[in-house]
Amino acid sequence: MEEASRSDDSNLNPIRNRNPTPNPLSTIISSAQVWPTIDGPLGLTEEASVDYARRFYKFGFALLPWLWFVNCFYFWPVLRHARAFPQIRNYVVRSAIGFSVFTALLSAWALTFSIGGEQLFGPVYDKLVMYNVADRLGLSGLA
Amino acid sequence: MDRNQRPRSIIDSLGEELIAILTPVSICMFTVVLLVCILNSDPSSSSSASFSSIATAAYSESDSDSSWDKFVGAFLNSLVFVAAITVATFVLVLLFYLRCVKFLKFYMGFSAFIVLGNLGGEILVLLIDRFRFPIDCITFLILLFNFSVVGVFAVFMSKFSILVTQGYLVWIGVLVAYFFTLLPEWTTWVLLVALALYDIAAVLLPVGPLRLLVEMAISRDEDIPALVYEARPVIRNDSRLVQRRVWRERRSSQNDNDDIEDRTNRNEVVRVVRSAEVDEERVGSSERAEISVPLIDRRPDQVENSETFLEGIGLGSSGAIKLGLGDFIFYSVLVGRAAMYDLMTVYACYLAIIAGLGITLMLLSVYQKALPALPVSIMLGVVFYFLARLLLEVFVVQCSSNLVMF
Repeated sequence: MEEASRSDDSNLNPIRNRNPTPNPLSTIISSAQVWPTIDGPLGLTEEASVDYARRFYKFGFALLPWLWFVNCFYFWPVLRHARAFPQIRNYVVRSAIGFSVFTALLSAWALTFSIGGEQLFGPVYDKLVMYNVADRLGLSGLA
Repeated sequence: MDRNQRPRSIIDSLGEELIAILTPVSICMFTVVLLVCILNSDPSSSSSASFSSIATAAYSESDSDSSWDKFVGAFLNSLVFVAAITVATFVLVLLFYLRCVKFLKFYMGFSAFIVLGNLGGEILVLLIDRFRFPIDCITFLILLFNFSVVGVFAVFMSKFSILVTQGYLVWIGVLVAYFFTLLPEWTTWVLLVALALYDIAAVLLPVGPLRLLVEMAISRDEDIPALVYEARPVIRNDSRLVQRRVWRERRSSQNDNDDIEDRTNRNEVVRVVRSAEVDEERVGSSERAEISVPLIDRRPDQVENSETFLEGIGLGSSGAIKLGLGDFIFYSVLVGRAAMYDLMTVYACYLAIIAGLGITLMLLSVYQKALPALPVSIMLGVVFYFLARLLLEVFVVQCSSNLVMF
């Protein structure tokens, strides 16, 4: 039993062994590992995760709230286990906040547009609404 | 405490792996059928708007031709298409041989962006138009941009969320398949049969391009940069035996098949606009063989075991069935075309394709090398479509209208 988990530990344990004594019992206990990604042992290790989380967070500023959402989705265990991964958690929480803010703004605009309709916008509505734009550009000429 | 050294055979996890590959195929087919039913049911839409692409370059079907003319025309069309695909696949083999892997990856990402942005945008516009959804163009553009860019990330990066990557691959398959169903009818059927034959040739013949690709990739121990759907690998962790699946051949040669699309102007003038994706890559299919090896972890010589265990982690090298995206596309094209006739043919073709896929997976476990996934399913599908249309329909309709059965 120890051999199996020790081979786990040597390369795959994502949580740095908090207790420095290589106690076989503790290695068995820590073999119930918490992986930072939602894919578990198929996903990234902890070091690579920090890099990823940071890159996704920075890329999301290019008007990509969906990327922020995927970031949070992918690192969901980080959000659940609050103390396990401090560096990753930083970026993931900020991505979550960014996503919520952006979605709130976007849905406010979209709902205003669709519910307000003609009365609110007047002639501008016809210029902005998608099916008219598509007709004008000839995009819906396939079906 | 017993040293159970019996190697776990494929039978033990066959059900789970089958489901893992059947689910996305079924979702893809279902979505295409849904799109076909929604978007083609509107009789007021102009049916004269022709859809021209490379697959109708030689002959474009019109209703007034005789059956023989249509057949010959369809045959010429498929010849042109298969020739184009062969050329493109050989170009791919050449590039891979010259180790232009970066270029191939970039190209993959680019074509994914084009498919998701362009074709996806088209489909969404068609849906919005159909349902008169009151969305404005700014929101639409932002959403489309988001969707495409994250899709490119999913395809480009090797370590990404498995679920998101799989979802995007299925969605790309749906988009391309829907546009293929817009081809004229005879062309579609002859094209499917021609592609099934091409697939056999390309994967099994020693001079076939896909086989060359697979062998090169194996000898270099690399992954082919192509759009391939990979099922989530099955990891077993017994308390004593740590199982690991060793892929003897981890290749799959899948290249996404993009279409040259020309959009025609809505007015009478047929203006051809070739969109940017002038790329054809054949989609063959290959699946990987798998051998499962139990790690015997009692012995003191743990070195090679831990190394191989390390190597076994990771999506590419651990065990998983890979199915090329072209298979998704052409299965869905078949089912989508069946949906244009009636839902009864859809059921018949769906069952035929699933049966063909099951047979192919069984052959895979027997032969343990890359196999073409198209021929069996397509042949069964085509046969069942024509049988259902010609024979079954008459029977069922007569029975139902006389209240005998169904």
